Amino acid sequence: MKPENLYHPDAAREFLADGARARWHDQAIWFVRQKRDAQAQQLPEWEELRKLAEQIKAHTLSRLDEYLVQFEENARHNGVTVHFAADAAEHNRIVHQLLAARQVKKLVKSKSMLTEECGLNPYLEERGIEVIDTDLGERIVQLRHEPPSHIVMPAIHLKKEQISELFHAELGTEAGNNDPTYLTHAARANLRQHFLTADAGLTGVNFAVAETGGVVVCTNEGNADLGTALPPLHIASMGIEKIIPRLEHLGVFTRLLARSAIGSPVTTYTSHFHRARPGGEMHIVVVDNGRSDILGNPDFYASLRCIRCGACMNTCPVYRRSSGHSYSYIIPGPIGSTLGPSRDIRKHGSMAFACTTCGSCSNVCPVKINLHEQLILQRKRAFDAGTLKPAKKMGLLAMRFLTRHPALLDTAGKAMRKVVPILPAFVKDGTAWSRPGRELPEMPEHSFKELYRRRQEDKQ
Amino acid sequence: MSSRDAMLAKIRRNRPEGPALPDIHAVPFVTFDDKFAAFAGLIRNLGGEAVMLAEGQTVAEVVARRWPNPGRVVDLTLMQHAEAFTPHDWQDVDIAIVPGDLAVAENAAVWISHPDNIFRSLYFLTEKLVMVVPRDKLVDTMRDAYGQIAIREHGFGAFIAGSSRTADIEQSLVMGAHGAMAALVIFC
Repeated sequence: MKPENLYHPDAAREFLADGARARWHDQAIWFVRQKRDAQAQQLPEWEELRKLAEQIKAHTLSRLDEYLVQFEENARHNGVTVHFAADAAEHNRIVHQLLAARQVKKLVKSKSMLTEECGLNPYLEERGIEVIDTDLGERIVQLRHEPPSHIVMPAIHLKKEQISELFHAELGTEAGNNDPTYLTHAARANLRQHFLTADAGLTGVNFAVAETGGVVVCTNEGNADLGTALPPLHIASMGIEKIIPRLEHLGVFTRLLARSAIGSPVTTYTSHFHRARPGGEMHIVVVDNGRSDILGNPDFYASLRCIRCGACMNTCPVYRRSSGHSYSYIIPGPIGSTLGPSRDIRKHGSMAFACTTCGSCSNVCPVKINLHEQLILQRKRAFDAGTLKPAKKMGLLAMRFLTRHPALLDTAGKAMRKVVPILPAFVKDGTAWSRPGRELPEMPEHSFKELYRRRQEDKQ
Repeated sequence: MSSRDAMLAKIRRNRPEGPALPDIHAVPFVTFDDKFAAFAGLIRNLGGEAVMLAEGQTVAEVVARRWPNPGRVVDLTLMQHAEAFTPHDWQDVDIAIVPGDLAVAENAAVWISHPDNIFRSLYFLTEKLVMVVPRDKLVDTMRDAYGQIAIREHGFGAFIAGSSRTADIEQSLVMGAHGAMAALVIFC
């Protein structure tokens, strides 16, 4: 769970205090963005694919209730039970009832941002059920008792030395052995025992197909597969927006997902679950938890097209330099900065301001969500809801006043260009711009307006 | 009102206008002159290998040459149906040889689905996975693949591309996360 009242600028400052680690984080994530570009360039139809994906999702949202009913009917026809949960509490209750009725002692989970959103793990653990996250990154953050910092790479904020220490303490690996292969295979051996002894498996859902009543789960590790092929009970938790109309549409989305997410042509396992394993049973929990409210908001409903690839995070210059833990909502980065405030503007107001409006997120989004435009609108909501700190609010109000009075803006600019260069250092050091790496820029002699005017005159 | 009906009613009330479904077949997708070369080139980066069976050569020979001391082998291309196995019975399998229905050139994925789902855990518990695909069943893209598979028939099916892998520790790519540590695709 994220701490209450997390304020992005403060949390980001904390992350940036370790300059070397922040730089590494930035570069590691930028590398993923570059791999994504390389994949996109290999498909001449890339932009057409994005357009198709956008249209399919936009169409689906316009008839979401119909597709959900169709999905439910077809799933039931396959022998799968479908449950509907209006909110996180109901989702957790349904999952717990299914587990309790079958005396489940141990649940193996594959990565699911929805169950993070619902707070499922602590809910089940309080009721005596052992929950094992099985995605390696997710397992690492579970053992550290912290939330994932990225939706696709949950432990990207950690160095291998930290993971080595953790595994030494928790799994008994060799002290000081930082080799990723050694550590990964130690986790593999440990988790395999959990897979073999679990009473139930829970997965998220990447895509739910209305036409066939089945769900698709994409992993590189195979944890969703082991977690559902071994235990007798499979529970799949999905948000209402995961629906796509037809099987053939997977031929668009499975081409976009892994390429956008990790720069790989596909995930190792793209698994299609339509029935339980022999002798087992399968349940699907369809969760709203605020999504239908977003659906009714013309400014923000496009955010429900999201397929959770994380490409917007990987390209975001702010996310890369502040890490997922500096965002207050469980989903960080650009997409989280619109989903979080849509859910609760008072709690997540600062997230929308963690954005330079550079638009890079919108440019890489495989379903073409207008992310940076939504973030500007979320800022307006944050302002109107009174969530801004006094200094920020006053600054914005002053700026608004100035931009509405051009003559005053010119005068203020002129004064600043004259005064700032002669200010003593101790005054300048007190500003938000004076932190290490963020020096106050040199003041130019002339304003843009003056330069422009002179150039026009020279031309004549 | 049940949660289901309340949710559906609210969605109906809130749903926005949207476009018609696009025709995904109207857009030209990438094609490959040599699908096998594309497939074989890609799978090398995904922790796998692809070979074309030579004239007179058998799958068993290729597997034996690659792994001379195989340990426990389960060959689903020979086995017709299982006899009272549990999913856990495959936990010590070293090599699983399984039929693949088709393969995709753009991403080195093979479609795996078996009429007898008791084998489902085998694909993921085995240490090494050998997928045997008819050579005329290589398609260009996932769109073509979905046009050919009957998804509901067996209750479970997966595209598998290479070996199980992860990069969750400092972005270092490691083969063998939970599933097979090695993958071999044999086109016959």
